[in-house]
Amino acid sequence: MHLPSPDALLYALIVVSAVLIATIVIRPSITVSREGKILAFTAFLILPVLCTCWGASEHIERSKRTQFCLTCHVMEPYGLSLNVDDPAYVPAAHFQNHRIPVDEACYTCHTDYALYGGVLAKMRGLRHIYVQYLGTIPHPIKLYTPYNNRECLHCHLGARSFESNPIHMAMLDSLKSNATSCVSSGCHDTVHNVENLSHVKFWSPAK
Amino acid sequence: MSTEAIGIQRGLRLSGTLLTLGLVVELISLLWGKPLAFLLFAFIGGTLFLAGILVYLYSLVSAGG
Repeated sequence: MHLPSPDALLYALIVVSAVLIATIVIRPSITVSREGKILAFTAFLILPVLCTCWGASEHIERSKRTQFCLTCHVMEPYGLSLNVDDPAYVPAAHFQNHRIPVDEACYTCHTDYALYGGVLAKMRGLRHIYVQYLGTIPHPIKLYTPYNNRECLHCHLGARSFESNPIHMAMLDSLKSNATSCVSSGCHDTVHNVENLSHVKFWSPAK
Repeated sequence: MSTEAIGIQRGLRLSGTLLTLGLVVELISLLWGKPLAFLLFAFIGGTLFLAGILVYLYSLVSAGG
């Protein structure tokens, strides 16, 4: 049996709620009876709260998607850099080898793996929107704060491939404290490098 | 019809209109799928939703009093 998608259920719920509310607005006399009062309470309070909470959750989930981030024109080269055919490009190697969820590539590496990290990521998202539409987009784009090793270690710490490298283990404390940066201390410093995209080959996944 | 009932019905009409507009805005924002859609949902849809709920609750409380 083919089940409707959650999106379709949400749209249907919004439409049903709006129709119920409109019915009561057109014929408010139906709320005189006890059943009518229950119907009004459901239509005016329970259903809109449900629709709004579900809608907010849906918006938050959508904002994690790679395609969502790449809808802004300024992010296009960063999206392209995920398909560079060179394993030295850290984001490309992660994206192409599915070390991160492909559908949430930007969010996975650019959220904070700390208390309220998701909330802070959303606040940064609002700031991005402000800069995109009302501010001046810096050139080149830079992170608001230096990239925190915590985001790398969230996945790599404890992984065999990471721990079997003696260099990683020798400098583990320094990595954990951010005294040495994974991406800007000369080890994994080829990140998006969008200014060099015209000189690189691109990998295209099989359809 | 009593004055109280007329007052409730007026509150229901206003609240219902605000809530319906809020739901329509929320639906449009969900179908749009651009970063601005979230702002449309949160600020315009959210404001209409909150106003509609508050008017409905006020009409209930004022009818009860």
